[in-house]
Amino acid sequence: MRAARTAYPLKWRIMDALEGIAAAIWPARFRRATPYLMLLPAVLLVGLLVLGLIQIADASLRTLDTTTFQFSDDYSIANFRRALTEPLFLVVAQRSLVAALIVTAVTLVFAFPYAYLMVRTRSPRLRKFLLIALFLPFFIGQVVRAYGWLIILGNQGMVNEALGLIGVAPMRLIYNYPAVLFGLVQYMLPFAVLMLAPALTAIPEELEAAAGSLGANWVRTFIHVVLPLARPGFIGAGVVVLTLSLTDFAVPAILGGGSQDFIANAIYDQFFRTSDQGLGATLALMLVALGSILVGLVFALFGAGTLAMGRSRA
Amino acid sequence: MQEPFRAGASREAEGGREIAVTVRNVGMDFDGIHAVKNASFDLPKGRFLTILGPSGSGKTTLLRMIAGFQTPSSGEIFINGEAVSAVPPHKRSIGMVFQRLALFPHMTAAENVAFPLKMRRRDARTIPERVERYLALVRLGGYGGRRIHELSGGQQQRVAIARALVFEPDLLLLDEPLAALDRKLREEMQLEFRRIQRELGVTTINVTHDQREALVVSDDIVVMDQGEIQQKARPIHTYRQPRNAFVANFIGVTNFIAGTVRSVSEGGDVSILRGALTLAGKIGDPVNPPAEGGKASGAIRAEQIRLAGDAAQLSKLDCVLAGTVIDTIFEGERMVYEVACAAIGDEVIRVFDHDPAAHKQFDIGESVFLGWNARDMLVFR
Repeated sequence: MRAARTAYPLKWRIMDALEGIAAAIWPARFRRATPYLMLLPAVLLVGLLVLGLIQIADASLRTLDTTTFQFSDDYSIANFRRALTEPLFLVVAQRSLVAALIVTAVTLVFAFPYAYLMVRTRSPRLRKFLLIALFLPFFIGQVVRAYGWLIILGNQGMVNEALGLIGVAPMRLIYNYPAVLFGLVQYMLPFAVLMLAPALTAIPEELEAAAGSLGANWVRTFIHVVLPLARPGFIGAGVVVLTLSLTDFAVPAILGGGSQDFIANAIYDQFFRTSDQGLGATLALMLVALGSILVGLVFALFGAGTLAMGRSRA
Repeated sequence: MQEPFRAGASREAEGGREIAVTVRNVGMDFDGIHAVKNASFDLPKGRFLTILGPSGSGKTTLLRMIAGFQTPSSGEIFINGEAVSAVPPHKRSIGMVFQRLALFPHMTAAENVAFPLKMRRRDARTIPERVERYLALVRLGGYGGRRIHELSGGQQQRVAIARALVFEPDLLLLDEPLAALDRKLREEMQLEFRRIQRELGVTTINVTHDQREALVVSDDIVVMDQGEIQQKARPIHTYRQPRNAFVANFIGVTNFIAGTVRSVSEGGDVSILRGALTLAGKIGDPVNPPAEGGKASGAIRAEQIRLAGDAAQLSKLDCVLAGTVIDTIFEGERMVYEVACAAIGDEVIRVFDHDPAAHKQFDIGESVFLGWNARDMLVFR
């Protein structure tokens, strides 16, 4: 009896039963449709998003009558003209874009050594520690983390107190651009590490040993072998960090204190403060366009990286 | 600057040739496990040495220490008379062909071959000509522009060889690069390694578990087992005069018949007793000879045994045993018979028949006789 149980475990019996039920509901002759059935949820989700975009595009072409608070019935491009000419929106757009580029560059520089050490270390303990340290921020959430930085960096915060001990007058460390950049880099770092790690795992260690035996010290091994082979990881991580930073809301809102709005904050203001859904929709569309152009540019210049699923041109 | 310590043996004999590599009392411990124990040998310049052993014998560890990827726990390695334990791999003049080749996939064949020259800051104007010369040497002239993944397995092997040799290293190391190839290609590349090595005269250390490869390509073979060097000899001596039972068993197909030593003569003749049977043989290891009354086993190679249907045909041989064929294995160029012999407790003796067409074919269950000469049986304790 015992032998029979191990030879055909309970798990397999349950699987058999489930397969039987599945075969009754979805007979084998439907099999060719199965992949499409599985795609359905994703298609529905993306489809809904497209429907939303169409509605936003419709709203963006209607102007708000500020006396009646009614939207015009006829279409005009007045909202787009406003978005492109009013200095406020240009400042916001420029601020978001520059921040996204700086944050991407800094995050990639910081993430690489972390990912490299995590992948290459021989100590399972260190690897576990690095992984836990990486995932911990995910459990905390973006808003709580940004708020935490307010407490640490605030006028009466730990950092200013520590500076006071060595005789430095309190400094304003929050509600400015660097604070927002700092918060974003800190938020993006785990994403970048997680995108880089598989790309580094894919580089055989033997290649680094080979470069060494062929006369390259570690710096030149790094420049000529590791970096070029890690490129797909950099592209994948770069695209993710770039788009997430460009569209971020919470960090500029909390660490910027209203003075450092990004595009997402401006959109929020239009929808929920001034109730000009037309202008909000316009800004939203322009953000989508900006993001798409940036990602398209990266793909055109460097290829799709890890996002090409191994089917890159190289 | 301290004068680098020079190995006393650097100009010593083995045909009076200069010694390229000296491994002296080298040991390597991993967490208390002795991967390599007290290994010593000299390798004269220009020779092709193969370290042969089963997996886990410490052969790769020894090679990696010579390459500089691992530091010996004890002992010292000398290259051209200089102690190298403190020298990192990129400062040693060593070309290495790796197990999985380790070609750079983001470079072309020519860029791979140019890499060591660039890293060694050779004159950029001379690099293209030199790369082309070495690609031609490995018979890949005109293939320089190909990407690595556009080349076949054999062509990739050739690029790896060219890359390891192009900067004219003092020493070439081969870390089982042929292990993954199919048999035909492997045998072709073995001869190719030997040709290139002879053409350039570069001192070479090859690591393999393939006894055939070791016999075919090498000037010398070091046999390793459980971290220890078992024997260092020329291929023909390794095969014909194995120093101990491990070497006899690892290389070739060898039958062992255990018994008690009855007598040992001055001239190296030994006779051992197995039940009612007396077997005559020669001392296998003069350093560690069998002692009278002690246990020993006689080793006889499968190809040194003759097989016949009646005993009269084997009358010229020193030892004849009766047995029954229990299995026949057809290997193409030869037939392998497994014969159970009653006189040694139905132990199975394997016999090669190299000429299946001319000889009588024996079937399973048939009674046969086995015979061999006393000088072909080596006795180890």
